[in-house]
Amino acid sequence: MTRAAVVGAGMTSFGVHDTPLQELFGEAAFGALDDAGVTTDDLDALYFGNAMSGQAENETHLGPRVASHIGAAGLAVQRFEDACATSANAFKNAVQAVDAGVHEIVLVGGVERCTPETGRDTAAMTRIFASASHRQYEQPTGLTFPSVFALLTKRHMHEHGTTEEDLASVAVKNHANGRLNPRAHFGKETTVEEVLDGPVVADPFRLMDCCPFSDGASAVVVVSDDLADSFDAPVDVTGIGHATDVVPIADKTALTATQAARDAAEEAYGQAGIEADDADFAEVHDCFTGAEILASEAIGFAPDGEGGRYAADGRTALDGDRPINPSGGLKAKGHPIGATGTAQIVELTEQIRGTVGERQVDDAETGVAHNLGGDSATTVVSVLEGRA
Amino acid sequence: MSLSYAEWASAVREGSLLGLACEECGHTNGVPTGACPHCGNRDLQQVSLPTEGTVHTETTIQVPPDGFDEGGYQVAVVEVGDARVMGRIADESASVAIGDAVALSGVITEDDDHPAPVFEPV
Repeated sequence: MTRAAVVGAGMTSFGVHDTPLQELFGEAAFGALDDAGVTTDDLDALYFGNAMSGQAENETHLGPRVASHIGAAGLAVQRFEDACATSANAFKNAVQAVDAGVHEIVLVGGVERCTPETGRDTAAMTRIFASASHRQYEQPTGLTFPSVFALLTKRHMHEHGTTEEDLASVAVKNHANGRLNPRAHFGKETTVEEVLDGPVVADPFRLMDCCPFSDGASAVVVVSDDLADSFDAPVDVTGIGHATDVVPIADKTALTATQAARDAAEEAYGQAGIEADDADFAEVHDCFTGAEILASEAIGFAPDGEGGRYAADGRTALDGDRPINPSGGLKAKGHPIGATGTAQIVELTEQIRGTVGERQVDDAETGVAHNLGGDSATTVVSVLEGRA
Repeated sequence: MSLSYAEWASAVREGSLLGLACEECGHTNGVPTGACPHCGNRDLQQVSLPTEGTVHTETTIQVPPDGFDEGGYQVAVVEVGDARVMGRIADESASVAIGDAVALSGVITEDDDHPAPVFEPV
């Protein structure tokens, strides 16, 4: 059932930006508004995501600042923080508000800077990212985010026989897709051997198993089902699920399940009235190659234990039968934390409209977005479909 | 019976591990919590966890965060009785693999004096 529709999408390139947060967000927001053919006067609210600029750039209370920059001072702005799932949560709340009749037209988006342009080097940013793990029961071990997903992935390798070559094949695929995405931070032809030759960050992850630190912004315009027909290219939001899982990692039931993703996917698919097999492609949260494998199983794109094999066999490639991350994913497109969730919605919207050029998935009518935060303890799964 | 962070941390500094057992669903939480995260039961029993256990998963971190001087240290989730806890593998020990037996051997306080349990292979 249609809950709302996306009628405009915009994003900056993801990469290194020597640009203040409001200017980055402005580029994405103006892009989304212009794509929809609306002005800030038409908006009822802004749902805004930013995860860690308070820590990284000494910038908080960004809502009115970005609203002022886009000429929308006065608008009600709510700001979300859910680690890497920040703007997917903003999107969920926006869709709920529109679906419930609270608003008719809203802007949703996020912005973040994570590169050394913030003045933070790798060690400093690694510590800021680690703030999303448990302060008392995880951080004192020296835990980092590559190591969080390394712990989950090594368990998957132990239980299912997933190999380092399987992991590397995810990086190879997503870099290949990123090469076709002009807004991607990275993208190149590479090989499993080249990935396995890289320096280890936290075993089994080598440098190219990890997404980069990126700067960027993304935004979409969301309107009610009733209004959507008056726009040129609406894409329907037919389901959104959102769930949490136990923190810390040690107290989760099963480390390889990413249970919040399973719960969120079940909720989203239930609302949309679809099964995983009905979806034509997915954008999933591949902060690390192992995370994509866990996600592909959690959202039902691969059977449990076979996510690695699906990637290695090319089934999740652009021309495979279960395409995952046609945008290049976080791995190649980049991962400006608070912008990632709505950037997935931008990709789904443009894929379903059929306007992405060389990286177009054939017959992309139904897309799934999977955006997780922290150790996957927050996950939002969205289903978007072409308007009949 | 409740278990505070201060009590847990004090125990870790003194070489023991405290957890909370839930009689409603059978989960034993490896660290303090206000209620069972799996079933919501607030009537949890404080338990002493075994100091010997088995490695559930592990990784060796080469790129550390600020506050940790050098990479090359191993972090593990260890099964101790019915619970699991996260800790460090002692720097002077050989690295461990999933399924290996380990025993609590000390504590590190490198992160602003927050204690983390340290295990070594047995």
